[in-house]
Amino acid sequence: MYLLEHDAKELLARLGVPIPPGRLIGRDETIHRSALPPGPWVVKGQVPTGGRGKAGIIRKAATPQELTDHARAILGATIKGRVVEEVRIEQQVDAAREAYLAFLLDPAAGGVRVILSESGGVDIEQVPPERIFSEVAPAAAEPLAACVQRLASRLPREIAPAAREAGELLARAFLELEAVLLEINPLFVLDGGRWIAGDAKLVTDDNALPRQKALELLVKARAGTYPDVARKHEHGFDYVVVDTRGEIGLLTTGAGLSMMLIDELREAGMKPYNFLDIRTGGLRGETKRLIQVLTWIGRGKGVKVLLVNIFAGITDLGEFSRLLVEAIAAAPQLKVPVVARLVGNGLPAAREVLAAAGIALHTDLDAALAEVRSHLSQELR
Amino acid sequence: MNINPRIDRNTPVIVQGITGRAGQLHSRLMKQYGTNVVGGVSPGARVSEVNGVPVLADCGAAVEKTGARASVLLVGAMQLLEAMRDAIAAGIRYLVTPTEGMPVHDALKAWKLCRDTGAVWVGASTPGMAVAGEAKLGFLPDDSLKPGPLGLMSRSGTLSYEAGYRLAQGGVGTSVWVGVGGDPVKGTRFADLVPFYAADARTRALLIIGEIGGSDEEEFARALTEYRFAKPVFALIAGRSAPEGVTMGHAGALVHGSHGTHAAKRAALEAAGVRVFATLNEMVAGVAARLR
Repeated sequence: MYLLEHDAKELLARLGVPIPPGRLIGRDETIHRSALPPGPWVVKGQVPTGGRGKAGIIRKAATPQELTDHARAILGATIKGRVVEEVRIEQQVDAAREAYLAFLLDPAAGGVRVILSESGGVDIEQVPPERIFSEVAPAAAEPLAACVQRLASRLPREIAPAAREAGELLARAFLELEAVLLEINPLFVLDGGRWIAGDAKLVTDDNALPRQKALELLVKARAGTYPDVARKHEHGFDYVVVDTRGEIGLLTTGAGLSMMLIDELREAGMKPYNFLDIRTGGLRGETKRLIQVLTWIGRGKGVKVLLVNIFAGITDLGEFSRLLVEAIAAAPQLKVPVVARLVGNGLPAAREVLAAAGIALHTDLDAALAEVRSHLSQELR
Repeated sequence: MNINPRIDRNTPVIVQGITGRAGQLHSRLMKQYGTNVVGGVSPGARVSEVNGVPVLADCGAAVEKTGARASVLLVGAMQLLEAMRDAIAAGIRYLVTPTEGMPVHDALKAWKLCRDTGAVWVGASTPGMAVAGEAKLGFLPDDSLKPGPLGLMSRSGTLSYEAGYRLAQGGVGTSVWVGVGGDPVKGTRFADLVPFYAADARTRALLIIGEIGGSDEEEFARALTEYRFAKPVFALIAGRSAPEGVTMGHAGALVHGSHGTHAAKRAALEAAGVRVFATLNEMVAGVAARLR
């Protein structure tokens, strides 16, 4: 999961990483001066995406009035489709230098890419390549530390010791948090060699959540901020609303096939509401998961039809259809016609069960889409 | 890397986790398809046999008793790394791991172990692999798995089932099918298999089923050019309309910047001479027209 800067920094601080003192303020909160660190400040909009500075949601404030004005302007702004719900108000750092430090998983190389540069802060893409030092090392403490030392020794003398110390500490944090990406940009280096993490971009591995207690607690405590991760962790499958104004609810299994279906629906000018990888193998003869999904889809105000698309390699479609019909009856929030396209084992039984519930079964996806279309156009009349 | 995934109907296979729900079901289905399943492993199991094959406490005992050379690992995500270590320590050099949700730092350790020992690892999050008509290791549905001239590699399970099924209906069967899996760090990548498919006599053309995120498709495109791959290559890439930065199921589908976008993958593949299709229907029609 892509952590908000505030959460990333607080996690790193607990592992000994120096950060500027700061405080998180939500949209409906009033800012109390006494709770803030001494100024001047920087007001930073919290959204899980890069390019926040360019988007105008990171602003410096010298006076309390500026602070309030900036916070008001940033909170509620929409950046790359995401609404800013919180700002981190932080003490400005009087840095001598701004360096760059990153660790990222390199799947093809089977290791961790370490990147160090004397020039951070600005777009790292703009820094000339001869001033960026980078190497891949195995994902273990000793080789990573050795890699950091090699790279730091190539930096100018004024920042090399700080970069080495920061690199070694953050390499340990990267391993300890089972991160996929950890980027500190800028890495503030102060006169005298002290350093502070000016920003923190941290992406962690959702698969490791059950054994990462601090992250697990964070997801539970801030389920509203990380809804997709919280839902996956609680329910064990993936569900994402892809278009709040979508018209077609999708009951599908398999990430690839579900994504492809969304692509093809959009290509054909239709508006899917959600992505779902329900994992039919995880139903285990119970309707709980299906009812949960139908209830969520029922919250989509624009949803006019439910499309069920299951390619069952292994799943028995007869049993699946019985569970589906039961779940539809138990989820009265969803009052839309159902179109089913099923392929695989137990098709005759599925056809019988669905027919009794007034649902036509298609084996051809195009035929199912034609029926979906007819429901959408009836709605228009 | 040059990985050879060829198994055959004689390759002796064990199933780790054979007494579990998935282990019992899939050891039976694999046997039905023709796979030479010779045993299973289950630490602390109370039964001595599942589907007519012996159940042993660890891989060392299983290899000693059965002579197994390959393993299908149907164990929990948090136990997978340890089970892989057990298999490799016992001398098994062919591992297929369908388990979803393996922590990525575990996958890095497993990756290094396989490279150091020369073990072939397909997975994790793989639906499995198969030599059509001979043997399958994993979940691939028989309806999608008809013998024929098309090599098939896929990151997604379900999308490949659907594609294989429609291709089979359209008269095109597969030669060697490898579900490389949806995880970012995996034992076998698209690019690793380019030399194998180039040399494989039964494969007349190659289809890859990719998705947004990661760099598998871009690496594959580079490998095609490097090896001067001469057979026709087709591709279908899911996630064209996905919003940037949203993970949809597969850990690999988290897009950072322009790297890994649908457009970037399409451009890289087309520059390497690959025909990229927009929809399943177009893909089936295009591949069938070339091969039937």
